[in-house]
Amino acid sequence: MIAISRSSLTTSLLRYQRSWGLWLLLLVAPIGARLMIPRGDGSGTAIAIGGHLPVMTAAFLGVSLGIVVSTLLLPVAWIYLRSNTNRRQPWQIEEVTAGSRIAVALGRWAADAAVLLGVLTALTLAGWMIGWLILPDGGFNAGQIVLALWLVAAPALLGIAALRILFDALPITRGGFGDFLYFVSWLASLMAPMAGQDREPGLAANMYDFPGFVRPLQYGAPPGTNDFAIGGLDVLPGHVPLDVMAGLFSPGYIESRLAWMVIAIGIAMLAGLVYRPHRATQRNLVPGRLARLSAVGPPPAAVIDAPAPRLIALPFAGLVIAEFRLIGAGRLFKLLAVTVAVTAFVADFRHTASPAALLLMIFALTAHAGRSEARGLLALTQTTPQSPWARRLAFLIAGTTWSLLLALPAIPGHGVSVVTQALGTGAVAAVVAIGLAIISRSAFAPRLVLLILWYGYLSAGG
Amino acid sequence: MSTLDLANISKRYGAKPVLSDVSHCFETGLTLLTGPSGAGKSTLLRLIATAEKPGKGRISWDGAALPAGRTALRRTLGYAPQAVELPEDLTAREFALHIAALKGLNASAADTQFGAITDAIGLHADINNRIASFSGGMRRRLIFAQALLGAPRVLALDEPTAELDGETARKLGALILERAKDAIVVMTTHLADELAPYAVAVLRVEGGALIRTA
Repeated sequence: MIAISRSSLTTSLLRYQRSWGLWLLLLVAPIGARLMIPRGDGSGTAIAIGGHLPVMTAAFLGVSLGIVVSTLLLPVAWIYLRSNTNRRQPWQIEEVTAGSRIAVALGRWAADAAVLLGVLTALTLAGWMIGWLILPDGGFNAGQIVLALWLVAAPALLGIAALRILFDALPITRGGFGDFLYFVSWLASLMAPMAGQDREPGLAANMYDFPGFVRPLQYGAPPGTNDFAIGGLDVLPGHVPLDVMAGLFSPGYIESRLAWMVIAIGIAMLAGLVYRPHRATQRNLVPGRLARLSAVGPPPAAVIDAPAPRLIALPFAGLVIAEFRLIGAGRLFKLLAVTVAVTAFVADFRHTASPAALLLMIFALTAHAGRSEARGLLALTQTTPQSPWARRLAFLIAGTTWSLLLALPAIPGHGVSVVTQALGTGAVAAVVAIGLAIISRSAFAPRLVLLILWYGYLSAGG
Repeated sequence: MSTLDLANISKRYGAKPVLSDVSHCFETGLTLLTGPSGAGKSTLLRLIATAEKPGKGRISWDGAALPAGRTALRRTLGYAPQAVELPEDLTAREFALHIAALKGLNASAADTQFGAITDAIGLHADINNRIASFSGGMRRRLIFAQALLGAPRVLALDEPTAELDGETARKLGALILERAKDAIVVMTTHLADELAPYAVAVLRVEGGALIRTA
C-alpha cells in the first residue's frame, strides 16, 4: 500500500513539475498577493470590521492573505486541480489492477496538497516582502505572518484537494455536475461560518468555519464591533485595532484547523473507499423520460448515392448557423429555452428571466465550447478552410443570438432595454466560455467561472 | 491448470444487447476473438479483464466466482485495452513503473523486465522519452509491454498489433505465443488468420453469440 501511495505521489508530482500551469501559478500567486491586502484607502480586496479597515499589523497581513485564499481564491484552486495535467489518468489499465484505491487516492491527494502548499509558500514569501515594505518600523514579524496565513489557508487548501479526489472518484461528480456541486458547497462554506459566529468560542463553533476567518476577525476586535465584511467594499475613514493573534489562539481555533486537516485526509481515504470505475461506454446518467428529452433524436433517413454538397456563397454564415444549432442541441435545451422565454414574457426580467436565461446559456455555451476546443478536434478543424478563429467568432455571434432570442418575449413588458441586457450577458458569457475553453481545453473551467459570475449577477441590485 | 470460466454471460448498453447468454471456458494457450466491428469483442475482453461487470451470468477464476475472486484474478492479470488515456508527460519507463507499483511488483525487477520486453518489441531506445513524443505504434507497444509486466496468468489483449508494421507485429506475435505456453491469452487481432494455427481456440463474436470456429 505504501509503495502504491508513493508511486501515485511521485508520478503526480513529476507531471505537475513538467506542466507550465504549476509554474504560472507559483509566479502569479506572489504577484497577486499585493491585491489581496487592504490598501489604506480601502481599494482592492478589503477586510472591514464595523465598516473600518483594521490597523495593519504583521498578523493582520498574514490573516488577510489567508482569508482571501480560503474564500475568494478557492474556486481558482479548484479549477487548477480539475484542469491540470493530472486530470488524464490511464484508468483503463489502473482500474483492473489489484492495487488499493485508497492508496492511490492518498498518493494523489498528497501530490495535490503539496502543490497547493507550494503555492502557499510562494505567497508567504510575498507576504514577507510586502510586510517588510508596508509595515511600520518594528512592526515586521515573519513568524506572525506565517502563522496567520497558514492557520487560515492551509486547512482550506487541503480540504479542497481532498474534495477534488472525492469528486474524481465517482462517475456522477467527475463532470459538470461535480463542478456545479462544488460551486454550491463553496457558497455554503462562505455562509456556514455565520452559524457559528455568535456561539461561545470553542471547537464545535469553529467547525462551522471551514475558511477559518471568523475568530481571527471577531475575537480580537473591540467589543461591540461584531460585523465584518470581505471583498470590494466602501470603508469608513479611520482604522480599528484588531488583535489577530488573540483570535488565532482563541479557544478551539487551532484545534478546529487541525481537525479540518484530519477531515481532509479522511475525505481522501473515503474517496478511495467509494471509488467507482469509469465507464468504457457512455451511458445515460439520467433515467427514462429525461434521457429521451435530452437525446438529440433519431438520425434522418439515409439517401443512397447522395451527391456531394455544393460550396455555399457565405461560408461564415453557414458556420454561425452550425454553431447556433450545436449550442442549442438536444430536446432538453429547447424545452428549457421555451420555458425561459415564457418566463421572460410573464415574470420580472432582471431578477428572474434574465438569470434563468443566463444559467441555461452557461451550461449550453460551456458544453459546446469545451468539446469544440478539445485538442483532437482542434487538430482536425485546423485543416479546414474556415480557421478555428472564424469558428470562435461564429460561436460568439451564435451564443449572443441565443441570449437575445430568449429575451425577446420580455420586450412588450419591459421595453427594448432588455435587448441591451441580453446582448451584454450573452456576449460576456460567450467570450468567457470560449476564452477559458481555449486555455483549458475543457468545459469546466469556464463553467465554474461563469457560475460565480452568475451568482454575482443574480445577487446584484439594478 | 488455471481456468477462466464464463457462464451464461449477457451484457447490454442501455437498450442495446451486446452479448447474450455467452459461455466459454478459457484454458491455457492462445484464444483468438474474431467478428465484425461492434460485435462485442472488446466488451468480452473488458469483462474478462474485470473492467466491466456482466448484466447476467457468472465469471469464475480458478473456481472462484467474481466478484469474490476478482482480486485474485486482478493480481495475475495483464490487460492491454485498445484505447488508453496515457499520461503524456511521463516517460514510458515512469509510466510502466507506476503500473508495476499498482500490480504490487518489485520496482527494480519490474524495471529490468520492462527493459527486456521493450527490447524484444523494438521500444527500448525510447523508454526514457516522454509518451507525448510517441507515435501511434509506439503507444500501442507501450500498452502491450505494461500488460506483460509481472507473470500474468491471464492476458487480455485488444488489437495489440494494430498500427504496427509487419515486422514489429511479428515480434509481438512471437512474445504472445511465448506467453501463451503457460498463460490464458485472449486476444482480438486483425492477424487472426496468421495466428490461428497456433491458437487453442478461435471464437467468433456475432449477433451477441460466441461461436467456436476452430
